[in-house]
Amino acid sequence: MTAVVALRPVRRWIRRAQASHRDRGELLGTVYTVVFSIAVIAVMAQDTLKAVFSPLVPHLSDVGALAAATVCAGLLFLALRRLGPVSVTRPAAYFLLTAPVSRRRLLSPSLHAAAFGAGLAGAAAAFGVLGHAVTSGSLLMIVTGALFGVLLALLASAAQSRPRLASLADATARVALALGLAALVAEATGWTPPEVGGEVAMSVVVPVVGALTIIAFLFGVRDLARTPNDEILESAKTAGTLADSVYGIEPSFLAEMLERRYWARRRLRSTTLSRRLPPLTAQDLLLARRRPARLLWTAASTAMPLLLAGAPRWVLTIALLAGTVIAARATTASLKTDAGNPVLLRLLGLTSRQVVRQRLWVPAVLGAAWATAALALLQLSGALPPGQWWLLGLAVGPIGAASAVRAARAGFVRNDLIPIDTPMGAVPTGPVVYAFAGVDLLILTLPTVIVLLQDLPLTPTMIAVQLSTAWLGIQVYLSWTTDPERVGLSK
Amino acid sequence: MSYGSTPVLVNVGLTVPAGAGVCVTGENGIGKSTLLRCVSSLQRADSGTIRVFGGEPGDSPDFWRAVATTVEPPTWYPGLTLREHAELVCRAHGQTADDAGIDEALERFGLAGHADAIPPSLSSGQKQRLTLALVLLRPSSLLILDEPEQRLDPDGRAKVAAMLAEYQAGGGSLLLASHDDKFAVASGAEIVSMEQLTGPDPTAPDPSVPDPTVPDPTAPDPTARDDQP
Repeated sequence: MTAVVALRPVRRWIRRAQASHRDRGELLGTVYTVVFSIAVIAVMAQDTLKAVFSPLVPHLSDVGALAAATVCAGLLFLALRRLGPVSVTRPAAYFLLTAPVSRRRLLSPSLHAAAFGAGLAGAAAAFGVLGHAVTSGSLLMIVTGALFGVLLALLASAAQSRPRLASLADATARVALALGLAALVAEATGWTPPEVGGEVAMSVVVPVVGALTIIAFLFGVRDLARTPNDEILESAKTAGTLADSVYGIEPSFLAEMLERRYWARRRLRSTTLSRRLPPLTAQDLLLARRRPARLLWTAASTAMPLLLAGAPRWVLTIALLAGTVIAARATTASLKTDAGNPVLLRLLGLTSRQVVRQRLWVPAVLGAAWATAALALLQLSGALPPGQWWLLGLAVGPIGAASAVRAARAGFVRNDLIPIDTPMGAVPTGPVVYAFAGVDLLILTLPTVIVLLQDLPLTPTMIAVQLSTAWLGIQVYLSWTTDPERVGLSK
Repeated sequence: MSYGSTPVLVNVGLTVPAGAGVCVTGENGIGKSTLLRCVSSLQRADSGTIRVFGGEPGDSPDFWRAVATTVEPPTWYPGLTLREHAELVCRAHGQTADDAGIDEALERFGLAGHADAIPPSLSSGQKQRLTLALVLLRPSSLLILDEPEQRLDPDGRAKVAAMLAEYQAGGGSLLLASHDDKFAVASGAEIVSMEQLTGPDPTAPDPSVPDPTVPDPTAPDPTARDDQP
């Protein structure tokens, strides 16, 4: 049997070899740029950050604060599970995972990084929740939040090597997330939660959670070697693709990987495409039906704008438009496939107008359903001025669908475009064009945006104007960007 | 046709008669795939004329309803099984699953057991068979196939060759590139090597002509022709 090779000299050799083709002080330069960028962004967005972490009028009851903390914990745990959290870089996965080195030493840096990151996130979440809570809490809560974050990272790490624990923990996190959001929405719509009796002595909680974290950490490190290879390879691919997406400013790398991974895990059963619908519409409908959990979350998210009823109107407006577009994007992955390589469209022999028209139906229905439900809930809760606001959903939904379709047709970020020189430095044109593909069509929702921002009562005339604008805008979009005599997606 | 300063197709002439097949052979890099891509309109020739069914190949729906090709690497729709991909292709051409004989086709290509799988989960040979099944399922008048025998086992090659012969017997035309003469013969296609298709390079210096800048008026027209179809 091959003896275990010490990992430290191997890593030192790799670092030395890498350093030979890097500039001196490159790491320091990167650290300086990152820290400076964060500082500049923090100063620029200080008002927004204050509103997020410490609003002027705190509004959450004790139950609300607990619900907010649960939501943050659920989101953090699910994010950690998506990332690994135990992982290695792609080169290390190729060269070192199969080498006779100590697996514990190989994997422990990623666990340390995950625990540190989760601790920071937990502290930030606790700080934010404290800022929103009516009753003032001890600053020791922030320490507790950080420790809970570390515990969540350790739980996610343990789940990585135990499939049963993984499915149980994932399900629990999703249920906790749903319950937390439901409680927050209920409180925002006027529900008075019961009083929570008794004070929690922080002097007891912090040492107990701290001790628990240390014990869990020791067990976690000891357990690292148990992490299965397939899990490590998968998280290495995730981390690598995430890095590619960030460095290449190409979000579709990550989205495609997640999509591919999702369908690879599913066990499908062939069904007949609906004969009453055009083929591509029938395909989209089938795709939507195959993701019931996504549909359920989309339906539940129609209540999310209620949480923002008290926020500035522009925040609510953006949330409504973003929610509509996200709901409409449920089936646009097929369009993205065609935008990347139109080989299937040539096989289908359909014109670009037929394709876009057929692919617009399901997103339009989903977008319209989401926007109508969200506006109806806002209207019922009294958060909006008088008027039949839900009718606007019938216009905003199809516009959101056209926006989602346009974004999917944009395909990939073009990095061959000439950058624009500005006093702040060169701005890459490709990512900017990509980011605005689809968003530009939301200009068609201008009538709705104006009445929402100005808090005006909604008149039937305004509804008619918005419906006409939507119909006309989508027709113009279809006729300007598609061709009835050309196969493919472009004109 | 050239890639940068490297000429690939020079002075090529080819005719595929309607209802017949032509198999282009030749060593790697000689330009077989490039020729097929030019005929499929996926690559533009620097000069010359290409005619498919009397018209210029392009992005028109009429062209792509008449021509089916495997020249490009395939992509697959997310969340759709093999059978559903086949049904989608047939539906787009106005056929129902039963009329098109999807189940029989999957059976013949040895894919019936994978009908509920998603294409990315298949092996490369199975993906090749699925691509061939799709182009043969949908109606077409000309098949352009780039090395269809690749990644197929001997039994699969024989089956596909028989189907291609059947396709031509039904009136379809076939243009394929292959390295396997036995497969080409079994598919009923006439074997033509790239050397046979290629005339002299008009830009190459000719020792029999004293002044190389004067073009030879007897040289053949440097075009690739496909006017039947």
